[in-house]
Amino acid sequence: MIRFAEVNKWYGAYHALRDINAEVRKGEVVVVCGPSGSGKSTLIRTVNRLEEIKSGQLLFDGHDIQSRSNSSAELNRLRSRIGFVFQSFNLFPHLSVLDNITLSPVRIRGEKRAVARQKAMALLDRVGLANKATAYPAQLSGGQQQRVAIARALAMEPPAMLFDEPTSALDPEMVGEVLAVMRGLADDGMTMMCVTHEMGFARDVADRVWFMDEGRILETATPEDFFTAPQHPRARRFLSDLRAH
Amino acid sequence: MLDIAHILRDNWLLLLIGQYPYGPLGGIAATLILSVLGISLAFPLSVALALARLSPWAWLRWPVTGLVYGLRGVPLLLIILWTYFLLPVLIGQTVSGFTTMICTLVVYEACYLSEVVRAGIQALPKGQSEAARSLGHGYVRSLRYVILPQALYNMLPSMLSQFITTIQDTTLGYVINVQELTFAANQINNQLLTQPFQVFFILAVTYFVVCFTLTSLAHLLERRVARRRLGGVAALAPEIVDGVVMPAIRSEVP
Repeated sequence: MIRFAEVNKWYGAYHALRDINAEVRKGEVVVVCGPSGSGKSTLIRTVNRLEEIKSGQLLFDGHDIQSRSNSSAELNRLRSRIGFVFQSFNLFPHLSVLDNITLSPVRIRGEKRAVARQKAMALLDRVGLANKATAYPAQLSGGQQQRVAIARALAMEPPAMLFDEPTSALDPEMVGEVLAVMRGLADDGMTMMCVTHEMGFARDVADRVWFMDEGRILETATPEDFFTAPQHPRARRFLSDLRAH
Repeated sequence: MLDIAHILRDNWLLLLIGQYPYGPLGGIAATLILSVLGISLAFPLSVALALARLSPWAWLRWPVTGLVYGLRGVPLLLIILWTYFLLPVLIGQTVSGFTTMICTLVVYEACYLSEVVRAGIQALPKGQSEAARSLGHGYVRSLRYVILPQALYNMLPSMLSQFITTIQDTTLGYVINVQELTFAANQINNQLLTQPFQVFFILAVTYFVVCFTLTSLAHLLERRVARRRLGGVAALAPEIVDGVVMPAIRSEVP
């Protein structure tokens, strides 16, 4: 579903992504982990072209998303099929929760407002926030904002969801509610790529773990193998550093 | 004090509407029409200028940047005089002082306002446009539904202060015989000859009252929008830190 082939990216002289070759298959949950500065966020942001790549190819559902020949309409269509959840939620503060969710279906797909509202309410119900439909983002806790952000992304009915450190900006007691929503999505068979430091989530939910450092994917493994017998020395060090505290 | 009352009693109509209906509309009415027309035409132009200055295309960015810098570097009075004397030569027909004043005000205020708009757009966290784009909104849609509503709202205070400035700038129309409030006051002064202090005191107070009323209205409007955004809860303004809308303290409301 998401395939990286020889993907390379530089920030000036800094080589941010090096020869990335990997694939997220349909229905698979991939957790990308690694130390900070390893290129995880950059990697996930290239999938919907919030970051451009320098060379290589990135296929989403067979479409070359980073191709220079993509018209902006094609790119927008592709992006609307990739749900993206940010670390900082990025809800639209001037819109109510309901309007945050219905904006895109109504404006992009021309969905009828009433239909969009109905679907939005169903989504809010799914993330456990049906009673917050008329609230504004400023009235919600971080965990609630992030759950609305997930509902907003789901409103476009994307076949795949990307999560860029969705719980890193949250207070510890709110992490669980967001992870529970993500778990539910995974159980429903959603294709997911998650950058996260939540190793418990990786262990329980992921089908595969990608370990990154210095712009490379050093190891891909099932969570059992990765957590019990990591192959790469850097991965071993990373895991023992995690366990140290 | 009595002098002032007398002057007001004899000339209130002139101060209010000028010589209308026996001559062109003047006084406060003309001042307000000039300002409102000026700013309401300048506003869309300023958004266009700001977008041009932020555009990725150099051929669009550079001329507009030049225009904005140029006009902001020259006193308004000079631009009024230039327009007044040059425009008729260029288009080959006379242009009234009022029209000249409107055109000049629109272009000049638009340049100033465009910097406010540009700052308002650039001050929004990058995550807002990223979120819009990642949902599949194109450039135009993300501007229209996500960026501009927030930027323009945040700019409201600056825009209103620009409007107040515009009201004050209309006094310069006096030099090209635009019959606005200052012109009317000067007419009165020329009639009375002996009471310039009283006349110009009235003028100053009138400007103050008009501007102060508008500023107060503006604040009322701001508070109302802020309240609506909080869903009618408390007068707690949402705090935005690093692009994250911070949770309000009283969050347990429906």
